[in-house]
Amino acid sequence: MTRYSFKSFFLSLTLIFFSFSLLAEPTIDEGKDLFRINCAQCHAKNMKSKATGPALGGAEERWADYDREDLYAWIKNSQQLVADEHPRAVEVYNEWNKVAMQSFPNLTNDNIESILLYIDDVYVNGAGGTTVGSTAVVVQERQTPDWMYYLLFAFLFILSITLARVISNLNVISAEKEGRTFQRKSLWQTLTSRGIITFLLFATVILGAYTTVNNSVSLGRQEGYAPEQPIKFSHETHAGLNKIDCQYCHDGARRSKHSVIPSANTCMNCHRAITVGSEYGTAELTKIFASIGYNPTDNTYIDNYDELGNEELKAIYAKWIGDTYLETKGLAELDNEGERVVEEQWDGIVNSLTNDQKQKIQGPIEWIRIHNLPDHVYFNHEQHVSVGKVECQQCHGKVEEMKVLEQYSPLSMGWCINCHRQTEVQFEGNEYYDSYKLYHDEMASGSRDKVTVEEIGGLECQKCHY
Amino acid sequence: MDKNSIWIGEKDLVRDEAFLETVEQEFAGGDILENSEGLDYTQSNRRDFLKFLGFGLGAATVAAGCDIPIKRAIPYVIKPDEIVPGVATYYASSYVVGGDYCPILVKCREGRPIKVEGNDLSSITKGGTSARVQASVLSLYDTNRYRSPLKKSENGFEAISWNKLDTEVKEALSTAKNVRLVSNTILSPTAKNAIEEFISAYPSSQWISYDPVSSAAILDANEMSYGQAVIPSYHFDKADVIVSFNADFLGTWISPVEYAKAYSKNRIVNADNPKMSRHIQVESHMSMTGSNADNRVLIKPSELGQAIAYLHGILSDGSSSAALNDKAKSALDRVAQELKSASGNSLVISASNNPYEQVLVNHMNEILGNYGSTISMSDASMQRQGNEKNLEALINEMNGGRIDAVVMLDTNPAYDSSSASKFAEALSKVGTKVAVHYQPNETSVLCDYVAPCNHFLESWGDVEAKKGHYSLVQPTIGPLFDTRQTEQSILVWASSANLNADSDQPYMDYLKSNWKSNLFVDQSEYLSFNKFWDSALHDGVLSHGSHNETAIPFSGDVAMAKSKVSYPSSSELEVVFFETANMGNGQFSSNPWLQEMPDPVARTTWGNYLAVPVAFDGNKRFVGLNDLEDGDMVELTIGSESFNVPVIKQFGMAPGTVALALGYGRTEAGKCGTGVGVNVNNCITKLEGLSQYYSTEVSVSRKKGKEDHFSCVQYHHTFGVKAEKNGEMINADEAALGNAYGVTGYQGSLVERSIMFTSTLSGLGESLKDKKERRDEYEHLNQATLYPFEEYSEEKYSQGHYWGMHVDLNACIGCNACTVACMAENNVPVVGKREVSRHHEMTWLRIDRYYFGSAENPNVVYQPMMCQHCDNAPCENVCPVNATNHSSEGLNQMAYNRCVGTRYCANNCPYKVRRFNWLDYTTADIFPANQPTLSGEEIPFGADNLTRMVLNPDVTVRSRGVIEKCSFCVQRIQEGKLSSKSEGRRLVDADVRTACQTACPTGAITFGDRNNKQGELYKKFENPLNFISLEEVNVRSSVNYTMKVVNRDESLEA
Repeated sequence: MTRYSFKSFFLSLTLIFFSFSLLAEPTIDEGKDLFRINCAQCHAKNMKSKATGPALGGAEERWADYDREDLYAWIKNSQQLVADEHPRAVEVYNEWNKVAMQSFPNLTNDNIESILLYIDDVYVNGAGGTTVGSTAVVVQERQTPDWMYYLLFAFLFILSITLARVISNLNVISAEKEGRTFQRKSLWQTLTSRGIITFLLFATVILGAYTTVNNSVSLGRQEGYAPEQPIKFSHETHAGLNKIDCQYCHDGARRSKHSVIPSANTCMNCHRAITVGSEYGTAELTKIFASIGYNPTDNTYIDNYDELGNEELKAIYAKWIGDTYLETKGLAELDNEGERVVEEQWDGIVNSLTNDQKQKIQGPIEWIRIHNLPDHVYFNHEQHVSVGKVECQQCHGKVEEMKVLEQYSPLSMGWCINCHRQTEVQFEGNEYYDSYKLYHDEMASGSRDKVTVEEIGGLECQKCHY
Repeated sequence: MDKNSIWIGEKDLVRDEAFLETVEQEFAGGDILENSEGLDYTQSNRRDFLKFLGFGLGAATVAAGCDIPIKRAIPYVIKPDEIVPGVATYYASSYVVGGDYCPILVKCREGRPIKVEGNDLSSITKGGTSARVQASVLSLYDTNRYRSPLKKSENGFEAISWNKLDTEVKEALSTAKNVRLVSNTILSPTAKNAIEEFISAYPSSQWISYDPVSSAAILDANEMSYGQAVIPSYHFDKADVIVSFNADFLGTWISPVEYAKAYSKNRIVNADNPKMSRHIQVESHMSMTGSNADNRVLIKPSELGQAIAYLHGILSDGSSSAALNDKAKSALDRVAQELKSASGNSLVISASNNPYEQVLVNHMNEILGNYGSTISMSDASMQRQGNEKNLEALINEMNGGRIDAVVMLDTNPAYDSSSASKFAEALSKVGTKVAVHYQPNETSVLCDYVAPCNHFLESWGDVEAKKGHYSLVQPTIGPLFDTRQTEQSILVWASSANLNADSDQPYMDYLKSNWKSNLFVDQSEYLSFNKFWDSALHDGVLSHGSHNETAIPFSGDVAMAKSKVSYPSSSELEVVFFETANMGNGQFSSNPWLQEMPDPVARTTWGNYLAVPVAFDGNKRFVGLNDLEDGDMVELTIGSESFNVPVIKQFGMAPGTVALALGYGRTEAGKCGTGVGVNVNNCITKLEGLSQYYSTEVSVSRKKGKEDHFSCVQYHHTFGVKAEKNGEMINADEAALGNAYGVTGYQGSLVERSIMFTSTLSGLGESLKDKKERRDEYEHLNQATLYPFEEYSEEKYSQGHYWGMHVDLNACIGCNACTVACMAENNVPVVGKREVSRHHEMTWLRIDRYYFGSAENPNVVYQPMMCQHCDNAPCENVCPVNATNHSSEGLNQMAYNRCVGTRYCANNCPYKVRRFNWLDYTTADIFPANQPTLSGEEIPFGADNLTRMVLNPDVTVRSRGVIEKCSFCVQRIQEGKLSSKSEGRRLVDADVRTACQTACPTGAITFGDRNNKQGELYKKFENPLNFISLEEVNVRSSVNYTMKVVNRDESLEA
């Protein structure tokens, strides 16, 4: 089964589930899908930690004092309930700094029940839940294991030795028959024979040259490069799980040559609300706060942040890390473990935000650049993203599945050229390309079905080198 | 002489044998290895070779084994809204240096200004720029800048804090009996306010302004004639006859960008209705403006007054007598007739610094009825306000010990005034001397305190260049160093109550409140000040109030003026001093782009060359004065001073006159400007306190030697020179071919070379016919090929873009703004004097200067020469690695990373526009041994981290050993294409404009898509005046030039 057909299979499976669920009783499976689509952007998937919105575990109990309909109404349109001065609604609203929850008018009460079932399931039984279902299918890739090759090699080796022995024996026999004595060659004699040495030399030269050329060609290429970054930022969490659009953070991609690594204030759009990470807790997120000067304890930006010394910074962020530790552990005072955590995380902040050139913690996060092009190459994201409508994943791979980002493509010239040879230009609806009259005529007459980038000069030197 | 003959210099004209020999060599200047002191390793033998081989292998192994270095990507912490990394932002501002003014747009990338463009919204310059404006962005990143406040101590200058400086300066000022502020012209009304506040805080103080090159006589004359000490507005676009007495109005005089724009309007010839202005230049040496004139009347510098008086006499009384050479007299008789016939549409101007001569000029314009049409007083220019008489008075006061404190506002009277050494001496008698300077100069080093000021790209400010025409200066980058803008320093010292020192940008607030209380209240378009301010800041310019031209009666005393006109000297030799378009009077010395920009006329770089006249010896040679040749060193004695200067032979000089540029020989101009050329400011004579830019006490010795590095680019890369064979004129290079190989009928030698077509306006019809015949012949020859171009061209270029360029040689004035713009846009390296002398200059765009017409008093044509992007390019065919090849859009592409430096392409280029990186001028090379030592500095120009900030990030910095050349600004083409694609519309002309095109003050250069039938280029390619340079060699150039037409009046030459 190809990947594509598997996908569509999965899709149809999901659709069947959905259509089924419209008629059926609420289920955990349905709840899981609905949660992923509607809730996961703002609510932590472990149901226990706070995110943009509160942890949902135990929500039913918190609303137990009120009519079930109130809970439905709250989820469908929270602002209406706040306006109606529902006591619980107002309480939650104020607790969350009057950040309004998104409305979900399309959810039915049954849908909501499913979600609640799923929430409860995860809350009680932990992340995996008891979810049963047919969705867990592993794609098996057909790949020959290495040991097969070794086995084959060994077999062939033994075969050749045996055959050589057989030939040698036959020679001896035939020599005896003819009354000659056959001088059997020793292994050493065979190995030092002229033919073998010539062959070995020849092979060495060829192999050496082949390796040298290949290695020189790949010199400076770093396909698969996945350095450890100052912050353990996971694209899997952001783009995969939370489905944040690539261009929300990489906002240069549509309008500039650079896709742009987001500035710390872009992070803060969400992380002012999500102050504790789902994966690393305070360890990684606090680095962003320390870079920009945000104090998560009292939800403020620190005045004159640039002028503070490391000790003052440590006081602010150690308190935050410690407090969060206490909260999660339900302790009143830091134990040894807690102190170790605080120290460790503080050291992490210092190590990530400072280096030989940058002595201060304050200031930009110095990410390690993964996609590097030589200086004589001009590449423009806008051309590819906005005009060419190329998906990010085509060059960057399945970023939404990468916990640690790595370079997916070789970024070699051959790779670029190859794509330019195959890719169709987006003639449709772009008046710019009207100047290619000949091609338009040919397409109208049917003698041509598409125009590739190559055909409008996409392989020429000065499209990328100037 | 053949009618279409042109020549680049005297050697070319006389077919000098040595010259012809050099032009046969591809790369003159000798073998690189022979001349490479400083590159010791190149003196190598076999063992060294083995060592290098071993090192090479070793290095390659090590390099291969190394990890790829970690590169970092550092985002903003808080990204400013208006910045998108990778996208340029433009801010409207104004270029102001003293009285020099140009409204500009500043291109910034990631917060760094990297390029300056003209502001199209300006009613004064209409989007034009000059070389100085283009180069100004480099001075922002000058390593020679002051970096913090300084105080002089025994061991030189010491850094101090602003607080300490302010306290000490204020204390000195408050105890001082007499304080003087010294500046050049100040165009900013708000700065003048600040000075007023300063004067009211220190009532004993006075403000004195002077200009490095004075126009004080015009101010005085207008005071005498009209009661207003101003410079009127000149409208060259309305003038049919222009008579200029020594005024270099296209290059340096008062407001050259404005004048050039207006002037060119009447110079561009329409073949269907041929009409153009007539420009007569009366001058002593070939100035840039003179080179553009139709007729030049040659006079010795001391005859200027008499020439003015003579013309005035004829115009006012009908006849005249004057002590003037006869040739000039008869010419001026004709000029008077011309002027009379164009009454009301003529213009007489003069750069004379004698006010009485200027009164006569005023009176001539009055007689001709030019006031109100070509001259207007109502929107008078403020661009020159200084008077050196004030400086003279100050020197006397200082010498008398009456001055306790002086504040120098970024001026340099110890160098650029005619009393420079006197000033320096007198300054030492002043108690407290404060320099508010941008970088060290001859004056600031004499001061006790240095309060460093900002570059104009770091400053706030306003400009009133003409009455009622305002523009704003806004910062495009924060101050790079611990500097403070001039006006703020003045206000701080004045303890101004209007300056809020705690504010983020105190002077911006001050400026805004000044605009609010003055300009805002006088207008009705905007109701809120913020909207008014935002709109003014966005546009950068603002025209204000109404300009009703009211006639002011002439009240000058003509009789008295006539009696005070200067008389010529009987001296045999005179010297004239002139300002150049690049150096000014030394204000721009520390700018390497301007130093390396060739002088438009002499084509010399890095130094001032004594221009000596040439005379035909009646046989075969044009002999320079005293038998001097180009590059000879002579001893020049002016008055009591003597200098060793190199010589350049110059056509079009008045006999008995030599000329030398001002602005060189600086002693405190950083690495770049110090010690380049000689300083003649002290030789400027005085008349009633006003500087006279000539001297009659002069002598020139015979040859004293040769200049070490003769850096005139005129003869560089020249070939295709004519020679004589069997009494017939043929092309020298092909003659050699014919002799050696017996080749006859070789295509190129069948026809005359067509580098240039020229014509007079009256003979235009015939010239056009002639040109057509020749072009038809070329076309006929070009058709005789196995590979018909038309079919190929139709197939390849009929769709998509097909780029081309058109250069109107009648609009081009040779100012070199394009050359400098090209250097700025394309990261073209500066190579220094020694490299230039070896023909290694790197400019992608040069302006060739050709003479034509009479050898005694020739006309000049400038031809901007860049890669012609030939569709049948000879360079492409010979590249062994296909590093240069052709694009489907008609571009001749150059891939640097593929180039291996065989230089076959440069050899094969008929236009000689390809440049080779002989040395690692940019330190882009990974092995430092390849980096050259240029003029003795530690690292080459532009290779330090500060100067690198000016680099255009979209253009590769080339390393050693590759060829480079004009790319038609391919980065701009790609950007323009992308923005139209992104917006889903067809590409229009405005999307792609090359750097040379936007820089040009006269609109001579048009770039565009030849396939766009609505475009401007398409129309310009239909111009019947067009020709293609060297069309006969069938390279299918993409650049069209127009025939140069001059409106020459032959009767003036009789």
